[in-house]
Amino acid sequence: MSKNLPSLQRQLLVLVLGLVISVWLATAALTWVDVRQELDELLDSHLAQAAALLLVQRAHDIDEDDHGVDAPILHRYVPKVMFQVFHEGRLMLRSANAPEKAMINPGLQFKKGFTTVQIGGEAWRVFATFGHEADIQVYVAEQTSARSSILWAILRSTMWPMLIALPLLALAAWWAVQRGVAPIRRLGRAVADRQTEALHPVAIEGITSEMLPLVEALNSLFSRIGNLLESERRFTADAAHELRTPIAAIRAQAQVALGEADDDLRRQALRNTLEGCDRATRLVEQLMTLSRLEAHAEPALAAVDLTALARQTVGELALKALGKEQSLEFDAADAVAIPGNETLLAVLVRNLVDNAVRYSPPSVRVRVRVEQQAGRAVLTIEDGGPGLDEAERIKLGERFFRMPGSAESGSGLGWSIVRRIAAVHHLELQAERSTELGGLAVRVSGRIHCGNE
Amino acid sequence: MRILLAEDDPLLGDGLRAGLRQLDFQVDWVRDGEAAERELLTQTYAAAVLDLGLPRKGGMEVLAAIRRAGNTMPVLVLTARDAVPDRIRGLDGGADDYVVKPVDLHELAARLRALIRRSHGQPEECLTAQDLVLDPAARSVRKAGEPVALSSREFDLLQVFMLNADRVLSREQLEQHLYSWGQEVESNAVEVHIHNLRKKLGTLLIQTVRGVGYMLLRAAPKS
Repeated sequence: MSKNLPSLQRQLLVLVLGLVISVWLATAALTWVDVRQELDELLDSHLAQAAALLLVQRAHDIDEDDHGVDAPILHRYVPKVMFQVFHEGRLMLRSANAPEKAMINPGLQFKKGFTTVQIGGEAWRVFATFGHEADIQVYVAEQTSARSSILWAILRSTMWPMLIALPLLALAAWWAVQRGVAPIRRLGRAVADRQTEALHPVAIEGITSEMLPLVEALNSLFSRIGNLLESERRFTADAAHELRTPIAAIRAQAQVALGEADDDLRRQALRNTLEGCDRATRLVEQLMTLSRLEAHAEPALAAVDLTALARQTVGELALKALGKEQSLEFDAADAVAIPGNETLLAVLVRNLVDNAVRYSPPSVRVRVRVEQQAGRAVLTIEDGGPGLDEAERIKLGERFFRMPGSAESGSGLGWSIVRRIAAVHHLELQAERSTELGGLAVRVSGRIHCGNE
Repeated sequence: MRILLAEDDPLLGDGLRAGLRQLDFQVDWVRDGEAAERELLTQTYAAAVLDLGLPRKGGMEVLAAIRRAGNTMPVLVLTARDAVPDRIRGLDGGADDYVVKPVDLHELAARLRALIRRSHGQPEECLTAQDLVLDPAARSVRKAGEPVALSSREFDLLQVFMLNADRVLSREQLEQHLYSWGQEVESNAVEVHIHNLRKKLGTLLIQTVRGVGYMLLRAAPKS
């Protein structure tokens, strides 16, 4: 699979080398154009200068008989240049390599200035000019190939160091890229070599700033997975631990039923066995709820009518309260909507009201109230039970903390669930002494749902 | 045998009490640590079954408190905490036995009997005195090899005497050993039971120490 993926190293190398070669070629092209222009100007001016010299000289000593004279070749470069001097149409003077006819347009209209013409199979740059009376015409010419060789020589001398530098540059770029991607390779190896259980963060030392987001994301992932694993592990341990007591109760009651001769007592023991089964079931359900809550961080939020939710819960628990001769009251004026997940909030409200009914003695008042206070939705559950002292209130919500001296069976998980649901909803949870009823008052408050959410 | 059961879980507590009663233990049941400590320090029990996760005062604290007070009664810890460090802490903290829930009632009863036996310096399965052999597990008594039929109370009383052989026991002590809370004790109940035991097992077995109480002699008196 990795063979089909683009390699960062190759991409970087191709990019760097491609860029260097492009810049190099562009430099060569610019140099070519620039040098050529300068060279043309310089050599053209030399041609013009030579023509002017010839003109001046002919103007002084024109000898009627002296025509068709060939100038000697004095230097080995001289064949690359030539000249002609005409006086009233007659060739007066020329270099040895110059033709006898006029270089440009023989027999046609004379034209002053620079022209490039083909003479003897070679391209020549020709400068033509004439004297004051136009009786003297001077042609000076130079092979264009001479210019090209100068140009090439200049280009060669500037470019060859670059040519040598190019492989060195490639080597350096390869080394630099190799060095640059080394931390990525190291990180890969470090993560690949890990044991499945090793979820400690990846070390930040030795990495580059570009890799920091990746490493941080990795570490954050490790930490989340670690938390999840830890919560799973704790769940398993807690579940095993907490199920021991109900199972022990079921076993003891079943054994009592087996050994009991008295019919009524045996029935009672069997009823207790069933109750133990129900309790174990409830405990398992609570553990599952808690486990799910701990695994999922943020539930989807929608507007939930807290008043309706609380009213429904009170209705559901009314029978249980009546059974204990408690007076369960509900007090709310208007609908109060808060952002939340209805299922989870129902679990929260039910747990709180159920706790109040369950752990309060018979014949007390339990009051559930929903109201708006200072722009916040507030749910208060108060009871007339013994309440909790400060140390006990702090312990509330620790897993498996049970109300002391309570005759009711409970796992102590209800509060953990309530706390967890409140946390994911950003609800504030307070337990205090009820000023009116004297027992425990639990206050849940949160922001009110805005219409446009 | 009268034992104290300290267990906060209502269903389990009820089951253990009923089950141990079926196995002829007298059971007093408390639901929190403070009550357990108070009862253990003021009442006479042959043994205690102690849950560790008690409200108000943890089982280990209760254990430490009664051991500090010099109480050496056998204590069986019955708990959901099954980790080895917990077991070690429990046993080193003064527990005589450490049992993890859930437990078979018969096994629990057997462990209690063993604890009670050993706490009276009687490592053998059966208690012996003179020509009597008492088997606590089978709840049977033999005199010179012949089985003797005893009522449940009589058996309990004989067991208390045999566990405390050669020691004087007051009537109050005997009552405390025999009766759990809420059981009506008639003023002369102990005397009636002793009278019956003497009738069935011989008059010389249980001696009266005037003004103090009663004593069972391990060896037959030389007369």
